[in-house]
Amino acid sequence: MTDRRPRSFYVLFGIFLLFMMFLYGPMISILLLSFQSADGGLVFPVRGLSTYWFEKLWAGDGQVAIGPALRRSFVLALVVMVLTVTISVLAGLAFRHRFRGATLLLYVAISSLIVPSIVVSLGIALEFRLIDDAIKDLGAAWNIGWIQSNFVSALGPFTSGLGAHLTWTLPFGLLIMFAVFNRFDPAFEEAARDLGATPLQTFRHVTLPMIAPFLIGIAVFGFTLSWDELARSSQVMGSDNTLPMQLAAKTTTVTDPEIYALGSATTAGSVLFIILMFTLVSLIQRRRRRLL
Amino acid sequence: MTDKTLKTGTSRRSVLKGAAALAGTAAFPAPFVHAQERVTLRYLSTAVNQSPAIAEKASEDLGIDIEYISVNTDEVPRRVITQPNSFDLVDSEYFSLPNLVPSGNMVGMDANRIDRIDELATVIAKGTVNGEKVGSDGTAPHEVLYLEDKDSTTFATEPTEWITLIPTTYNADTLGLRPDLIDKEITSWASLLDPDFSGKTAILNIPSIGIMDAAMAIEARGDITYGDKGNMTREEIDFTIEKLIEAKRAGQFRAFWSNFQESVNLMASGEVVIQSMWSPAVTAVRTQGIECVYQPLDEGYRAWASGFGLPRTIDGRKEDAAYEFINWFLSGWAGAHLSRQGYYPAVLETAKEYMEPYEWAYWYEGKEAEQDILAPDGRTLEEAGAVRDGGSYEERMGAVACWNAVMDENQYMVRKWNEFIAA
Amino acid sequence: MTEASDTLAEARQDRASATGHGTARRTGPMLVPYLQAAPMALVFLIFFVLPLAATVAVSFWQYTQYSIVPAITLENYNDIFQDCLRDLPDLCTTFRTYLSTLKFCLIVWAMTLTIGFTIAYFLAFHVRTLKFQVICFLLCTVPFWTSIVIRMISWIPLLGRNGLVNETLISMGIIHTPLEGLLYSDFAVILSLTHLYTLFMVVPIFNSLMRIDRTLIEAARDAGANGFQILTVVIIPLARPGILIGSIFVITVVMGDFLTMGIMGGQQIASVGKIIQTQMQFLQFPLAAANAVILLAAVLVGVWALLKLVDIRKEL
Repeated sequence: MTDRRPRSFYVLFGIFLLFMMFLYGPMISILLLSFQSADGGLVFPVRGLSTYWFEKLWAGDGQVAIGPALRRSFVLALVVMVLTVTISVLAGLAFRHRFRGATLLLYVAISSLIVPSIVVSLGIALEFRLIDDAIKDLGAAWNIGWIQSNFVSALGPFTSGLGAHLTWTLPFGLLIMFAVFNRFDPAFEEAARDLGATPLQTFRHVTLPMIAPFLIGIAVFGFTLSWDELARSSQVMGSDNTLPMQLAAKTTTVTDPEIYALGSATTAGSVLFIILMFTLVSLIQRRRRRLL
Repeated sequence: MTDKTLKTGTSRRSVLKGAAALAGTAAFPAPFVHAQERVTLRYLSTAVNQSPAIAEKASEDLGIDIEYISVNTDEVPRRVITQPNSFDLVDSEYFSLPNLVPSGNMVGMDANRIDRIDELATVIAKGTVNGEKVGSDGTAPHEVLYLEDKDSTTFATEPTEWITLIPTTYNADTLGLRPDLIDKEITSWASLLDPDFSGKTAILNIPSIGIMDAAMAIEARGDITYGDKGNMTREEIDFTIEKLIEAKRAGQFRAFWSNFQESVNLMASGEVVIQSMWSPAVTAVRTQGIECVYQPLDEGYRAWASGFGLPRTIDGRKEDAAYEFINWFLSGWAGAHLSRQGYYPAVLETAKEYMEPYEWAYWYEGKEAEQDILAPDGRTLEEAGAVRDGGSYEERMGAVACWNAVMDENQYMVRKWNEFIAA
Repeated sequence: MTEASDTLAEARQDRASATGHGTARRTGPMLVPYLQAAPMALVFLIFFVLPLAATVAVSFWQYTQYSIVPAITLENYNDIFQDCLRDLPDLCTTFRTYLSTLKFCLIVWAMTLTIGFTIAYFLAFHVRTLKFQVICFLLCTVPFWTSIVIRMISWIPLLGRNGLVNETLISMGIIHTPLEGLLYSDFAVILSLTHLYTLFMVVPIFNSLMRIDRTLIEAARDAGANGFQILTVVIIPLARPGILIGSIFVITVVMGDFLTMGIMGGQQIASVGKIIQTQMQFLQFPLAAANAVILLAAVLVGVWALLKLVDIRKEL
């Protein structure tokens, strides 16, 4: 390769810079607006400079009460993350063998990705509504007091909500596992087996360390896809809102820059999260390289 | 009080009430009640109706904790229908009742347990102001106020002992506008469809309310005279929606909104200069220092009312607490609090007791403010000398033309409305 | 995108061994793969297959204001297509809505594809060191990790009638009255969707481009091909899998979108997703289900055609 850049480089570089502006411009604008003083409004010009709206957000006494939704989303995302990694790895291992229904499962997984989210959401909501009706009928027929007075709905963040999120994260997890095992050299496992390792030992000491960085990839994917999921959540969370749902509800109802402060804060949070994850991955990779 | 039926009902009820009170005292001596654990009532309604101050005050006065569940206007009936035991008390609009009552998820409230049942504002209880009938197109509260009996799923035509909703707030809506951005005089609902405001009007995306706004505007423009605009025939619905779609395709609307704050944002940011508005929304725009007028119109107002209802599943101490809270709500403090936000409360006399005479004169009598009018949070709403838009209580509520409505053809209307939104 | 950066590192060295016989030889008892696949199969059965079945079933049910009634009827489909024949040659609302959704779909697809390909091409062929590739890649992805709702509403202060764009243009004297069409318009929806989903094009296309053997390009150049010919004859065909995967993603997301069209369109732009969502709001579940079935059919037909062109499993 030579050092002289072709002209196309500069053109493309220019386009890249424009794209960056396109990506970051709006974010910078809300960042600026979120640092307004108490009399700031929703539109430019920026009035004053203070952290007033952040304080208000932090104190939780303004128009944006997101505490419960934030906690709920966080826990849900963690659960989704763990399940996504576990289920995807298991399925990934399964797909290294031939088994009946393998193709069907793959196509179902891919369809789950491409069926419009609103349809999946509607379907799960309907399914759970039918389940609710069945439970209530049962309660009435058998006169079960608990159902009649306390049963609200089977819909909830950790039942239907969790399921809806998994239909979104698992296909990604599975596809990443395909990518991993497509490039995976089975010689290491064979070596371990030849040395007398049990399948479990082989997995624990050979396979798992080798695919670990990708698992972190799946985990990050699982967490963030769930954290930011909205379309699939829309109909299935029952009476509890997740953070994006709460945000969507608030976009139109909040009349002061607190909503921008919230936007800036969540953006900062995500950036921190990515930095953290990348550090983790590069640490693991460095260690692995040293080991190999 | 000239209504004979109600008068006889009254006396009988008062006797029963006394008896019930006696029985109540005997069963639960007061100290025993207080020794029990505090009751929490889950209070389902739109965010607009949920004032933290009221919850605080109720907790102080009654020892009852209020947990607000705030949802959008169209989500309230959905919750009542699909999750009737997720709340203990619902503050719902009267127009939802034709959908809620047949579902069997609500229960009739015992009139004998409501202390001030006879003092409810006549506009809600009888559809009259100062003895004069007001417009009753649409779902007028007095038509859906009573049930045949506690568990009935049909409305009673005559007053009974069983109440669907005890009113919390009500008011009359009209067009709100930005006088700084409009240079003509607005006197009619037809202005909503005035091509001069093309791209600068908005309409509510809540079918039961939006259709009434549209009907007021289309009728005012002279396109049609409805038989009963609150209970349209299919042909009338088709015609109305057709006119709306025409306007939409011509670019008349800037946006559709479905909650209170959204309308405030649209107005305050100047995206919209004229739209149907809720009276407190006009107040909210003004507190941002932006001129906004609540404009009385020739055709009259579109009124709304909302009230407390109980879910079928409520019983025991929660039920007692709910009645206790409702009685407290009608006893004046809450009414005065809501009045200062521009709402009207169920019982006027008690609210008056908790308001300064100058406040009462401004909010209810249409008089000039003798001194600055303050919002409940202490901000100045109006300087001394200001007069409330729309005048006195009688002028506003007396000029009601129609109410938010659920029609017989509601299912069809909602479907057509969706077509309008989609068109 | 951790995985992607790893791919960067490994794509090159592993390219040779990645020829697709990843399905290794069988080991252990035959039952094991079934047990391993069971959790995933179960999740998809309960939360995907059965819900879709429920949707199809309910789309044939009747309903009232407050309940759904399991009595078979074709009424819902009839309602959707009711006036469509009568109104011809004018299009009925249903067809208009589908056309409008399709329009957004195609425009956003074209936008994201053009931008996404250009950016991926730049990253893959013009950024020379791995380190800068990772940095540029990260720069692209950071905004995609923040809430889509926040990214959407961050356009509002820019595009509003009194927004920054209008104010700037007016102060520069380019326009005298504010442009109305910036916010709550088709433009706003397209802009926002492009903003939201371009990354879904960049990643798979970048992935495909990175796997192109550079010697092929050298060979083409040696054979006398010019830059444009290399692009159209060598690079684009080889990037096809990435383009297809990205396209499927963008198209399905936009087909089912209701939130962006709602917020950026001032709640007055029609889309199929939005119709389904409003119908659910008013508890007209069977009607919503019927619409969902139609949408599903439309999307699946489109994707099936696209999938005929690429074997996803091999291309990863």
